[in-house]
Amino acid sequence: MKIAMINGSPKLGQNNSGIMLKLFEPFIQAAHEIAQYTISKEPLTQEQYLALLGADALLFAFPLYVEAIPSHLLRMMTALEKHAKREKKQGLYVYFIINNGFYEGTQNRIAVEVLENWCARCGFRFGMAVCQGAGEMMPAVESMPMGHGPLKNLGKAMKSLAEAIDNKSCGEAIFISPNWPRFMWKFQSHLFWRNAAKKNGLNKADIGKLMDNQHAAD
Amino acid sequence: MKMILHDLSQQEFEALYPSVDANTTVISDDGAIRHCVGCFGCWIKTPGVCMLKDGYQGMGELLSKCDEAVIISQCVYGTFGPFVKNVVDRSIPYILPYFVMTNGTMRHKKRYKNTFDLTVHFYGDVTEKEKETAKRFVEAMCVDFHCGKHNVYFHEDVPAEGVTK
Ligand SMILES: Cc1cc2nc3c(=O)[nH]c(=O)nc-3n(C[C@H](O)[C@H](O)[C@H](O)COP(=O)(O)O)c2cc1C
Repeated sequence: MKIAMINGSPKLGQNNSGIMLKLFEPFIQAAHEIAQYTISKEPLTQEQYLALLGADALLFAFPLYVEAIPSHLLRMMTALEKHAKREKKQGLYVYFIINNGFYEGTQNRIAVEVLENWCARCGFRFGMAVCQGAGEMMPAVESMPMGHGPLKNLGKAMKSLAEAIDNKSCGEAIFISPNWPRFMWKFQSHLFWRNAAKKNGLNKADIGKLMDNQHAAD
Repeated sequence: MKMILHDLSQQEFEALYPSVDANTTVISDDGAIRHCVGCFGCWIKTPGVCMLKDGYQGMGELLSKCDEAVIISQCVYGTFGPFVKNVVDRSIPYILPYFVMTNGTMRHKKRYKNTFDLTVHFYGDVTEKEKETAKRFVEAMCVDFHCGKHNVYFHEDVPAEGVTK
């Protein structure tokens, strides 16, 4: 089976969507032919759009951006819809791995609806989606054993997703948060922002900078 | 102050708003917009301002001066069209990186004291399911940006004069 994996993160360097795809690959059968695509630097070419439509299944991995799809990926999806209609390509199975910054994977619910609506417009089959909260945790946990510790829920979800892809079947979206306390994630994130700002020569007060003498929130 | 963000052609926009007062800022597609690259520079390098200098870097500041925002966008799969979504993605400098809890889930802390009311006019051929998604999407986005009241309208065609008044 030909599977096209599309990394929909707009980040130029390492990104959590890429880590998720890398962690997912060992779950699916080795016999599959996998092609990787990124859209962070350049939009896809006509040939690449046609290659996507020639695959047996598509797997998108992307971050949640303001409750839905990052704009560059949304553009790509509208272009793929046009190509699919022109080529009269129906019934393609499409799967998704979404990650978001907040702790709760359930915050990807609206994005999943958008993807369902997109599949309906394209005549594609919405296969399944795995939606993981606290995605920025991925670089810190990627080398931990999958299916254990903070990756316990993710391991289970990836297994279900792989089964769905291997059998070209459809399933419900799975929404997960890491096996890690929410208050810890909040604490670590705040520390992360402060340290990152410090490396840029900024202090805690600078992070809250206001433009043009506007008033700060209470 | 009022902001109007739209993805109409110049001609369509002028038919809808023959004149715009000095208190209103219009954000439209000049073809130069770049997409957010997820660098978080707007939070930890130049707080409050996007790092991409393409003319759309000041959304945080603009929103901090607004009490009213109007968005006119094609409805695409139950969300905004790519240009409008691009501008909205580039608007996170308006909020702070820190997390706060609201109704049991996380969101970002407010940077500015102001709040703005949001009216969204979606246009185009929209299915019932897309309408439901779009309403939920706007509501969630209003939580993200700490908006005041919000209203969502759907139009089959590009809205004509008078509709958005
Ligand atoms: C412009 C922008 C908007 C975002 N909107 C949301 C959001 O609405 N909800 C959320 O939980 N995370 C949001 N995030 C956080 C990303 O989903 C998160 O950082 C993700 O892990 C990035 O994944 P990537 O490395 O694959 O790009 C947003 C990030 C950016 C830059």
